[in-house]
Amino acid sequence: MGMPISHIMTSGMSGIRAAGDLVARMELAKGMRIGEAKDYVAKKLDVTTDDLSDEYVMRELREELGIGVITSVAGAPKGIAAKMNIEKLLDLKINSCEKFRGQLK
Amino acid sequence: MATEYKLRMGDGKRIFMTKEQIVADLKEGMADAADLGSIPDLSEDELDKLVDIITMPSRMVGVEQGKEVPVTHDIGTIRIDGDQGNSGVGIPSSRLVGAMMHERAFGADTMELGHIDYSYKPAKPVIAQEMQTMEICQQNMIVPMLYGAMPNMGLYYTPDGPFENPGDLMKAFKIEEARQSMEHSAEHLTRDIVWIMQRMMASGSDGVNFDTVGAAGDGDMYASLHAIEALRKQFPDIYIEAGMAGELMLGMHGELEYDGTTLAGLWPHEQAPLVAKAGANVFGPVCNTNTSKSAAWNLGRAVTFIKAAVKASPIPCHVNMGMGVGGIPMLETPTIDAVSRASKAMVEIAGVDGI
Amino acid sequence: MSNEEMFKELADAVVTCKKDVVTAAVEKARSEGIPAPEIIEKGLAAGMNEVGVLFERGKLFLPHVMMAAGAMEEGVKLLEADMPKDAVTKKLGVIVNGTVEGDVHDIGKAIVSTMLQSAGFEVHDIGRDVPLQNFIDKIKETNADMVGLSALMTTTLQGQKDVIEMLKENGMRDNVKVMVGGAPATQAWAEKIGADCYAENASEAVVKAKELLL
Repeated sequence: MGMPISHIMTSGMSGIRAAGDLVARMELAKGMRIGEAKDYVAKKLDVTTDDLSDEYVMRELREELGIGVITSVAGAPKGIAAKMNIEKLLDLKINSCEKFRGQLK
Repeated sequence: MATEYKLRMGDGKRIFMTKEQIVADLKEGMADAADLGSIPDLSEDELDKLVDIITMPSRMVGVEQGKEVPVTHDIGTIRIDGDQGNSGVGIPSSRLVGAMMHERAFGADTMELGHIDYSYKPAKPVIAQEMQTMEICQQNMIVPMLYGAMPNMGLYYTPDGPFENPGDLMKAFKIEEARQSMEHSAEHLTRDIVWIMQRMMASGSDGVNFDTVGAAGDGDMYASLHAIEALRKQFPDIYIEAGMAGELMLGMHGELEYDGTTLAGLWPHEQAPLVAKAGANVFGPVCNTNTSKSAAWNLGRAVTFIKAAVKASPIPCHVNMGMGVGGIPMLETPTIDAVSRASKAMVEIAGVDGI
Repeated sequence: MSNEEMFKELADAVVTCKKDVVTAAVEKARSEGIPAPEIIEKGLAAGMNEVGVLFERGKLFLPHVMMAAGAMEEGVKLLEADMPKDAVTKKLGVIVNGTVEGDVHDIGKAIVSTMLQSAGFEVHDIGRDVPLQNFIDKIKETNADMVGLSALMTTTLQGQKDVIEMLKENGMRDNVKVMVGGAPATQAWAEKIGADCYAENASEAVVKAKELLL
């Protein structure tokens, strides 16, 4: 366990503590290189690319946008709900959200 | 007396080296990679930067602010509840708990669901369990979550599978029979991976991680590339990550081709374009750690190889940086000082898109 | 043509991995009066060493290694009449090679076996997930000079140490060299458990085996 945590501390974007999940999602969804993915997400969030790894900036912004935060804020979107907001924010479809919508009567 | 710096051997043991010795080892490792891969040396500036990273006095180093990259996770939750064989720490927990711990407590940028045996073939008998777990994880998780396993084509050879072991056939000089056995195994492996991923995609998975492509040689890569191609065709939006098993594609068969390129003998910078061509979104290049060499030698070599792969790749490169690869010591508990330095070097010098 | 040039032609012939090219080169060397042991040692064996290097560099692949070894065997057969029988049939050494019990990894070990065999050793590959007693039994049966113990998992490394202990208990340790390998094995581990050598890869396994047995 120490090794991945060391990588996260050294080089990682901190996942949902900041905006690492969003940048990773653009790399994985669209094959964007790191610079392009950061530019894309920063533009969508109206922040700088440096802000994407800044917990101070992203903590409040994530809650405002309803895209999930690490603390269990009562009533705030989590899981599928947060991902549905990410779909709109990043202008892409997420498979689990599609499946969820497909299950609604 | 010259100042000595604390370093590690490739097996993790503490060693002391002067700056001159570090530079010499860096250059030797770099030259080895450049020679094997017919790729460029690092520049003097890049070598200077590597020396700076290695000789920094702090135990842990970090990338410059603003240069952070996503850290993806092979093997996923097995790190929490898995056993020593999977480098797990044996904390009794469900895979959902493991995934949420990574997302909310550790700051992981992506996550992966894998089963304890961690190869595709043995996932078939437990597919319903995998689908159920993926659904539950997807309902609760926010970071991209892939299904991951090893292609592990060796499981299709006797005594584990239906096809005669090519290793035995080869030693008996039955080369054509060995090659046929590999070709048949590759067909079955491709079919199994596609079958499993059809079900995982139906369960809401974001996509698939091919972990340790080519572990059983060029047939293993051949099967994986065809599975990637088939999955991309069937699921245009699937996230596909393909990480290699080693730096050199071992030629067990020797004549298998993909898109007109012979797979055997490919180095990371030659593997990347093929993986992209097949339809992957992210490529995971590998450089193996030599346990008998210093961290300086290993890092000089690994950064040279990976930098060339990053340059040649049309898709993001998430370098493999686990135990015994990417300049990380071959040790069950890789030392934080070595992991941190290798991690920083890969981001800032090799220019990787992720880890 | 000088002898040196002829040795180079023989070595190059082996690198082509083609039997007819090797046998033609051997016939030519014989006709030039080069002694058979020199044809083998300085020509054909040097060619096999080159094949090993090219394999490690990703220029030749496992089937080529076997084809080259097969071609060399044909060449040696042509020289049998010129050599004492035991000199022709004598192998560099007898090696039992396998992956220890509990570990199903086969491929790396199989490559090591192939490289050792093609280098001229008599190799008995006893497979993977091998009960430890089977190593002892096979060493006795074949009167082996060396045992190769592979393990690819941290959980199965202990099997390498156990075999060494069993060799001692059976009074065999002094007569059998022990080589260990596999991803989690290291030089330090080899020293700790009292193995004679650790090999990083298949090519190094051949070099180390020659160092210990020749």
